[in-house]
Amino acid sequence: MSLAGAIVGGVVGTFVLTSSLRLMQVLGITRMDIPLLLGTVFSEDRRRATAIGYAVHFANGVVFSLGYAAVFSAVGQAGWLFGGLLGVVHAAFAGGTLVNILLPAVHPRMGTPWTDAEETPLLEPPGFMLMNYGRHTAIGTLLAHVAYGAIVGGFAAGL
Amino acid sequence: MRENGYLPIRDYAAIGDGRTVALVGLDGSIDWLCLPNVDSGAVFARLLDAERGGSFQLAPAEPFEAERRYEQGSNVLQTIFRTTSGTTRVTDAMTLAPGETLVPQREIVRKIECLSGSTAFTWSIDPRFFFGRTRTRIERRGRRLIACSRAEALALGAWGAGEPSASETRMDGEFRLRDGEAALLSLTAAHHEPAFLPGRDDTEHRLRHTQAFWPRWIGRARYEGRWREAVLRSALVLKLLVFAPSGAIVAAPTTSLPEWIGGERNWDYRFTWLRDATYTLDALQTLGYEDEAHSFQWWLMHATRLTAPRLQVLYRVDGDVEADEKTVDGLAGYRGSSPVRAGNGAVKQVQLDIYGAVMHAIWLHAQHHGDLGGETGRAVARIADYVAEIWRQPDSGIWEVRSEPTDFIQSKAMCWVALDRAVRLAEAGFVPDRSERWRAEADEIRVFVDEHGWDQERGSYVRAVGLRELDASLLTLSLMDYTSADDPKLCGTIEAVRRELAAGPLVSRYRGEDGVRGDEGHFLTCSFWLADALARSGRIGEATELMDQLVDLANDVGLYAEEIDGESGAFLGNFPQGLTHLALIGAAVSIANAEDAR
Repeated sequence: MSLAGAIVGGVVGTFVLTSSLRLMQVLGITRMDIPLLLGTVFSEDRRRATAIGYAVHFANGVVFSLGYAAVFSAVGQAGWLFGGLLGVVHAAFAGGTLVNILLPAVHPRMGTPWTDAEETPLLEPPGFMLMNYGRHTAIGTLLAHVAYGAIVGGFAAGL
Repeated sequence: MRENGYLPIRDYAAIGDGRTVALVGLDGSIDWLCLPNVDSGAVFARLLDAERGGSFQLAPAEPFEAERRYEQGSNVLQTIFRTTSGTTRVTDAMTLAPGETLVPQREIVRKIECLSGSTAFTWSIDPRFFFGRTRTRIERRGRRLIACSRAEALALGAWGAGEPSASETRMDGEFRLRDGEAALLSLTAAHHEPAFLPGRDDTEHRLRHTQAFWPRWIGRARYEGRWREAVLRSALVLKLLVFAPSGAIVAAPTTSLPEWIGGERNWDYRFTWLRDATYTLDALQTLGYEDEAHSFQWWLMHATRLTAPRLQVLYRVDGDVEADEKTVDGLAGYRGSSPVRAGNGAVKQVQLDIYGAVMHAIWLHAQHHGDLGGETGRAVARIADYVAEIWRQPDSGIWEVRSEPTDFIQSKAMCWVALDRAVRLAEAGFVPDRSERWRAEADEIRVFVDEHGWDQERGSYVRAVGLRELDASLLTLSLMDYTSADDPKLCGTIEAVRRELAAGPLVSRYRGEDGVRGDEGHFLTCSFWLADALARSGRIGEATELMDQLVDLANDVGLYAEEIDGESGAFLGNFPQGLTHLALIGAAVSIANAEDAR
């Protein structure tokens, strides 16, 4: 297992993940826009927010690849198949907790189920498995994360 | 007061918290509440089934007279109950969260204060989760009672309100208050989480916080014209209809209140209609509610991304595009007006007028903020391109007729509005400039409307190509600057609407077929549009007179339904109706503007 491979895989995997989600947006499958969601934590200006969001997302991709590397190291194996399986877990965590619950909890411009009449958020909350952004968002997110995991696993294994 | 278990619709008042809305009857019964959100299943639906709907009743145990009002500038309701033995005030509110404290997801608080003498009260909570489709269980947790069903719960807090007793599916109590004494009931809702069991002090604190918030919010309103009280009440109603987590605004918080008693025109309005976008943004910005307007604009641009450049007629408050219409079995319907529906079939219709409404809203927003953002600008230009392609298609029109699509004249004119605003946006540099094509198509629309939509004999525009009848929605041509407000054709149309569709201050939408059986009431929005159009055409006196009459038609706390029965004055249709209140604000502002310009 190569740590450097996992990190490079994280960069490539994030590129693929981000691009595939963007493609889904363009095709009208989902309204989820990860760079916008992340970037608007820092800025209300859409252009600036999107640029910041891409940077944050790529940084996250590298950080997550370290987590993948830790699992590969602990288990003693790496590879695209095992990475893809971890991608399923990653997608469940991202859709069920990370973006669904934790992001709205810290996002200054996003509503939550607890937002009441005193507040006027600018972004709707993602909902369970991000399905507020379109019913097919869940399956798209799953496939994109499986691809990410497979790429990280493959690079870590030196493929 | 009740007839066969049902109150008149005008006997209800609304309380809410920006997530959901409850309707409180003049007799102290909360007969409508959806949880956790305004578009969720109802837990109290006595409004739609007097026997099986479920409610939260609280009233004197002896004969009483009741009168009520909202607290000044507030959505907190006060009902005064007078009996032969005493006078008592009940304060009803859905509470808001004070800061960073642990608070329930949703909460109804009912504070009962004896003002003089003494009064015996009874209360009863009969929750029927998911429109009564699931079984309710009442369980004890120590001294507390909790109503549960699946992963939903309602926890009761009762202080000074008697010892709560529980049957299998309901909670009851009785108590007597003497001069100066107070009791408190709190019902907290938990959705997919542990129930919250607040203490009395916490509950009182949240109530005080809520009572302080609303006057502060309405204090931001910029409106000093006539009918100020009605305009501010309408703003407060709109705020109740804003779904705070996303910024979307529902048309009304109810489903299936009938447009005619016993009829089948019973629709679910707990969605956001893009058509209302123009009026909403205009009203919020005019009254000075920039944050709410900005939030709604963001919601608008995000919600439509999944279908753009095609726009869907309506969206769920969370942005979801699915709103399939289903019948809710097991509920009789308001005064037997069935079916009860959840979801709205109009979601699948083509309604071309929404493009004009949305583009006008975007134009208003861009003017106000001085920017749209590059991606939004490109999306808006694509919508304009799409309108230029599809405006010749037949559609179901602003009234969402269920008959075959046809060429409604108002729809075509609103396509002209869409392209005209696109040109203005391009000229101002907000969107990519393809104005040459948009302008050419807009010119063609105008020729089409004049050739096929003008009835020389009647002296007015008509409902549709081949339908030589009137339609009150043509009044919006004046509101949307389709042409100058004193244009003879528009003035002729206003006159024709008054002549053929109005009865006193009340205006019908149209007289012809729409694919649904049965009659309906007069459409209050059209009356306010008429006042608006009259003011814009310079007939300020007539507009003012009409407005005076219309303001008097509100219920005792200033709310309007969608429609009104001309003979009995009874409210009909969903309640309170956002579009009616938006039209009221628009008409008042237009009259004020016309007076200023004079």
